[in-house]
This record gives sequence, C-alpha cells and structure tokens, in this order.
Amino acid sequence: MARVTDERTYYTIPIGPTHPSLKEPLQFAFDLEGERVVDVEIKPGWNHRGVEVLGMKRNPLQTLYLAERICGICSVSHLIAFSRAVENALGIPVPPRAEYIRVIIAELERIHSHILWAGVAAHELGFDTLLHLTWRVREQVMDILELLTGNRVNYALVTIGGVRRDITKEQEPLVRQALRYYKDLLEMLVDAFLHDPTIELRTRDVGVLSYKDALELMAVGPTARASGVKKDIRVDQPYLAYPALELSPITPDLFRPEIHGDVYDKIIVRLLEIEQAIGLIEQALAKMPEGEIGHATKEEMTELLVQIKEREGEGIGRHEAPRGELFHYIRFQADSEIPILWKVKCPTYSNLMSYRPMFQGAQIADIPIIIACIDPCIACMDRVIVRRDGREEVWTAEQLLAKSWEKTRRLKG
Amino acid sequence: MILAQIIEQLFKKPATNKFPAKYMPKSIISFLKSGKPIVPPVPTPPRFRGKLIYHRDKCVGCEQCGRVCPANVIQFVPQEKKVRFYLARCTFCGQCTDICPADAIEMSNEFLLADYNKYSKNLVLE
Amino acid sequence: MVQLFWGSVVILFGGVILGLIYQGVDRKLAARMQARIGPPIVQPFRDIKKLLVKENIVPENAIPWIYNGAPFLALAAVVTVLFYLPLGDQRPLFSGYGDLILVLYLLALPAVALAIGGFASGSPYAVIGAQREIVMMMSYELPLAAAIVALAWRLDRALPGITAFSLKEIAAHPIWAYLGPLGFIGAILLVGVLLLVMPAELSKIPFDIAEAETELAGGVTVEYSGRNLALLRIADAVKTVVMGALILALFFPYRLGGVLGLAGAAGGVVDTVFFLVKLFLIILIAVTIVRVAAARLKVSQVAYSFWVPLTGVALAGLVLIVLDGLFFM
Ligand code: SF4
Ligand code: SF4
Repeated sequence: MARVTDERTYYTIPIGPTHPSLKEPLQFAFDLEGERVVDVEIKPGWNHRGVEVLGMKRNPLQTLYLAERICGICSVSHLIAFSRAVENALGIPVPPRAEYIRVIIAELERIHSHILWAGVAAHELGFDTLLHLTWRVREQVMDILELLTGNRVNYALVTIGGVRRDITKEQEPLVRQALRYYKDLLEMLVDAFLHDPTIELRTRDVGVLSYKDALELMAVGPTARASGVKKDIRVDQPYLAYPALELSPITPDLFRPEIHGDVYDKIIVRLLEIEQAIGLIEQALAKMPEGEIGHATKEEMTELLVQIKEREGEGIGRHEAPRGELFHYIRFQADSEIPILWKVKCPTYSNLMSYRPMFQGAQIADIPIIIACIDPCIACMDRVIVRRDGREEVWTAEQLLAKSWEKTRRLKG
Repeated sequence: MILAQIIEQLFKKPATNKFPAKYMPKSIISFLKSGKPIVPPVPTPPRFRGKLIYHRDKCVGCEQCGRVCPANVIQFVPQEKKVRFYLARCTFCGQCTDICPADAIEMSNEFLLADYNKYSKNLVLE
Repeated sequence: MVQLFWGSVVILFGGVILGLIYQGVDRKLAARMQARIGPPIVQPFRDIKKLLVKENIVPENAIPWIYNGAPFLALAAVVTVLFYLPLGDQRPLFSGYGDLILVLYLLALPAVALAIGGFASGSPYAVIGAQREIVMMMSYELPLAAAIVALAWRLDRALPGITAFSLKEIAAHPIWAYLGPLGFIGAILLVGVLLLVMPAELSKIPFDIAEAETELAGGVTVEYSGRNLALLRIADAVKTVVMGALILALFFPYRLGGVLGLAGAAGGVVDTVFFLVKLFLIILIAVTIVRVAAARLKVSQVAYSFWVPLTGVALAGLVLIVLDGLFFM
C-alpha cells in the first residue's frame, strides 16, 4: 500500500464504497503521512440509478413521484424544482396559495433534514446520545408532514401547476404547535451542539473551506454559507412565495464574530437555518391568501395531461434544497407527453469539489465528520458512469466538451 | 449541558414505541399467529395514504389511473373492462385516487403490508 | 493447592459472568439515558454465544499464530489481574510483596496484545488502530502509575511495618484514615485521575479511538471474528470489572459487614453485595455516563490531555501526598 512520491512515503487507505462512516456508497483514497491526510482522490459512481432515463420514458405526472424518490430526505425539493421546470417549459400558472403551501412544506422539510444531519454529524463524532436525541425530536416534524400530506417520507404533495392538498383551518394550529415545540427545543439543541466542549474540540478548525475556495469551487447551500459566501437561491433569485417573506442568507457570523469556514460553522449555519425555517413557516401561514391550490380536481388533472401533450418547450427549475441549490432542466416536444430530456443537478454534485481543500491537512479522525459536513447525498449526485468492455472510462472535461459539441452539431443536422 | 438531560432521561420512559413487542420474538410469524396482544403501531393521521381500496362496481374502465400511476401498479383487464392492482409496487402517491373519475379507488389507513410473496392475496387487488 | 485451583476456577468464571452482566447493565442504562429501551441485560451472553458458533476468519495476509494468540493473551492477562484483586469479602487469591507493580504491568498487557493482534491482522485500518492503541497506552500509563505509587508510598510511610505494595495490605488499611489535609486533597485528585484513566484503559468513548467505529470500522478488532472476537469481548468485559475493583481496592475498600457487626456467612453476603454496588457505581460514573455524554476525541487530543493536564494533576496529587507524608506525620 505504500506509495513513494517526492522521496516520501505515503500510505494510502481506502474509505468506501462501503464504510461505517458513509451512509451511501462513495469511494475515497486517502494519501496519509502518519495520521495526517496529504491528499485525497474521490471516486463517485457507485450508486448510479439511471433515474433521468426512466424519467424520459414516462409522462411528467408519473415522473413527479420518480423525481421525488431521487432523494429521500430532500424529496419535496426535487419535486418543487421538477414541477417548476415543467411549469416553465409549458407555461402552466401556479396559484398563489399553492406557492405558499409549497414554501411551508419545503421549510418543514428543511427542519427535518437539518435535524437529521445534526444527528448524523454527532454520530460521526462518536456522540450517539445526540444522534438519538435529534432523531427523536425529528419525529414531530415528520408527524406534521404526515398530517399535511398523508405520507411520512416522499410526501407526494406538489404537482405540476399547484399542490394536491390544502392546509385546512384545523391543521394550522397543529403546525403552529409543532413550530413552538421546535422553538423551545432549539435552545437545547444549540446548547447541546455549540456549547459542548467535546464537539467544539472535534469540529473547530476542522475541514476548513476558505471563502475563496468556496467561491472558486462553486460550493452551494450551507457549505458555502458556512464559509461566509452569502449565497441562497431563495434570496438571489426569489421564487415561489419567498419574495413576500423576510429572509436573508444565514452565515456563521450571526452566532460567533469571526467566520472560520470549518465544521463548527457548518453546524452553526444549519442550526440557525432551522430557526429561520420556523420563522418562514410562521410568516407564510400568516400571509397565505385564500383561494385555488391548482390542478387538484379530476377535470383539471385530465386537462393538465392534455396540455402536457400539446405544448412544447424547455424550462429550468431551481430550488434551495436543504443541501444547497438544486437544478432541474426539462424539454418537451409537441405531440408527446414524454419529455425528450431531463437533467438533474443536485447540490452534492456542486459541493463534492470542496472536499479536497477540506481534507488536506486533516487527521484520520476528522475524515468521517468532514465527509458528513457537506451533508452528502450520493444517490442524488451520481450521474455519469461509463462502462465498456468491463472497463471503466473516466472522461475528462475536454473530452466531454468535444462530445457535447459533436452532439449539438448532430442535433442541428 | 447534555449531562442534566441524560440523567433526567434515565428516570423517564423511553421514547421507543414497542411495536409489535418489546423485544424481538423468537419467531415473528408464530408470534403474530399466536394471537397475543401486540403493542399497536403509532396512530395514523386522517387522510393517511395507506393501502388502496378498489370499488370494482364503481369502476368504469376508463384507464385513467393506469396512465398516471408512476409505478405501473395498475393492469387493465380488457375482457372485463376493469383494472387489477399489484400493490407490492405501489408507492402510495395517491395519484390514481385523485384522478379516477368514478371515485372507484380509495386509500385506507392500513399500512402493515409486508409479505414474502408479492403476488399474495393481500397484495393483488381486483 | 486444591483450594487454589477451585478458587481460580471460581474467580475465572465468576469474573467473566460478572463482567458480562455489568456490560449488559451498562448497555441498558446507556440506552435509557438515550431514551431507548436497549437490549435485555443478558444480551452480552447471547452475543458471546453467537460469536462462538460463528466462523473464525483469519485474513489471508495476517500472521496466524500472532493473530490468534493475541485474544488469548489479552484474556489471560486480565483474568490474572483478577486473582490479585480483593473481590467482595474475599481476600485476593494470590498476593505477595509488590503485587501492585505486577498488576500495573498485567493491566498494560491486554492493550499490548490487542495492538500486536492489530498489527498482525494485515489490514490498514487495524494497523492505524494498533498505532493509536499504543499511543493511548503511553498516554494513560503515567498518570495511572503516579496515582498508584503515591498511594503505596504514603501507606508505607504511615505504617512502616507492612508490605505497602501489596493490594491485600492496601485494601486492609483504607488510605483516608492516615491522611492529613494536604494528603486528603491529593488523594481526591488521584481518585479523579483514576476515574478518567478508567474509560481510557477500557477504550470507551470518548477514548475509544483505537476502535473508532465511524473512522476505522472497528480499528484493531476490524478483522477479528468468531471465537477470537468473543475472547476479546470477554476480555473487555472482565477488564471493566478489574479496573473498577482496582479503584475500589485502592481507595474505597470499606466493608459493610464489620460496620453492621455481622460476622460469618451473613457478613460475607453483605460484603459481597456492598462490593457489587460499589462496583456498579464506579462503572456507572466512569464508563456509562462518560460514554453517553461525550464525543470521541482525536488521538492527538487524548495524548495531549493525558500527558499535560492529567499527568499534571496526577503529579500534583503525588506531590501533595508526599508533602503530607513528610510534614503531617
Ligand atoms: S397510489 Fe400511486 S403508485 Fe399506488 S397505484 Fe395509485 S398511482 Fe400507482
Ligand atoms: S380511473 Fe377509476 S374508473 Fe378509470 S379505470 Fe381506474 S379505477 Fe376504473
């Protein structure tokens, strides 16, 4: 296993595709000098499921539920981005009330995703008590989501041109009650995570992503914001009901004066975003107008299928998922309800590059928490894998560029 | 500090729902067959999306449900102009329920559907 | 001779059973602190039983005799310590001049065995784990030795006639009675040091860095399976009892039987129960609560905190006790 470079011996240890610190398959090869990481090579591609191809064999109404299953944690994020892409492509309007409901569900999901992440992070640090604590309190928001949508995971609530269920008058107080529960709880979570001496020891100045690196490597979501990059699709390119709500990107300097860009800062950002999400839901509940929720009745749904078939166009949908910017692209031809192209770029794909600077100089003990700190979702991220004659080829950027030029030329005819 | 919390928790009831029994029985199947009382699962909220119920008499055989089902659960039986559901594939999205013009499909709150055989009686709905 | 034989059989099995029961209790209590139900208390026995029927896999690039020998060595070492410890109302099976020093060495042996087994198993994770195990060992040995030596020296000073480096004598003469105010403070510091050394010695969170599930997937023990893993598990369980009993023998060897004026069999039962309760409290404080309330530290952080602050505290305790011995006689 020893490898000699620059007359120095590095040991290489493989982590993954299966390893206790990985919740999904991803492979790392670490070059080590003692306990110190010198460099890392990352090899994705173990969990490619061909979702996009499946989506190009179904009508969008069916693909909704497929898109939702790209990720189990940020499922409604995929749903929102996908339906916004379809709505953009085909020019389907969304009633305002539906936009508010989408915001509420998306923010509830953010609460649950961030709490889940906090538990995973604690587990990676060997702090299983916090794992059990966080996952226990997460039940409340899961219950609320179940109440509002009928499903605990993969809520199947958003549809093209609206949402499928309204938030009724009876449900509102229950949502408010859950929000109060989390408000009280947040203080305890902040105390347990940010004022705990062992956690601070393990995460301060670990996995540092500098402001410059975060910008250059195009990190997104909490990973970028923890480095001080004020980047948030909800603010930069407002959509849904977000323009009407008070909201600004969360950076760690709201809690501690200086920004380190380390794992500790990422915990800060995510915990503060839980608070922000609670505020957003409250605002949304207060401001939500009465009215249509869009394409909920049978006739409307049948009508929608006809529209999808008739119209053509291409569109993009973006959403600030709990892990960062999520992007869907879709393209339709006339006289076919099946899209000819569907492309998904999920936040982990953008954040993957930031692993390298974070790992360099870290210790072996830091590896699990650094892997966890971008909240990776590998299943969303794996896109390209080329196998030919039993051999894997990795295409470089130039080759890919040449390929796409070739294809464009072919399409142009 | 977490310390106070854990000491407090030591004297409180655990949060776990002991479904179906406190500890794993030797054999789950014989446990369930024995008719001993099982600890109930957590309750479901109203309008929960559980196992489908199919009202065969109401169905008009329009095939709309099969068109929107994402998981190809629904097979059309042309001789009878009715449909058949292979529930082992169902994702509980409720799209078929929403679109059916005759209200022939409903969702119950039953969700304990695990089975060894995906074509078992319980999982094929006609 | 016969008595010695039966005595050691009883202690061997008694120690293993006691260790596994305490492990079950520890797991149960940890679970309750985390709001879980936790496994039944007999779960460790079931685990061992299951491991014993499982295949014992020796990796291809391991060195079989070292790899297979290490778990035996670890278990043998901890069980031997058990023979020297005063348990319950029993006087130690073996004792003699300077057995305290022997115990110190024997306590280091399981960690060494584990490290050797890790190096011999030929997996990079195990090798890193083994390196960490050695670093850990070097970190906690000094505070441990300082605490023990200070105590024995002070006792020797107070009662010149006895062989103070013998656990039997230390247990027979609780140290607190002979201390002046300075020594009292020093001894309290040393108790604290030992309570922190205990989880490190037992490789429990926050010091389980040699096994570190999420980092090294089990570290030193990653390749072990079947019978070998069962032996390691048993050794770990017995070691918990050993460490607890050692701290008890050094600092809290009190018995209830004498105080209540009971003698004979009744006194023996009361003493044994009292000992078990004391052991439970020590394990609860030093193992269960600590491992539930902390995150795993890094090897550099452990090495630093044991070498600098903890050794400092241990030495301060030592100095206080020495001063006490010199001036408050
Ligand atoms: S609930 Fe969804 S997946 Fe199940 S049959 Fe209906 S449309 Fe298909
Ligand atoms: S949509 Fe309703 S009426 Fe039409 S085939 Fe399906 S079940 Fe029957």
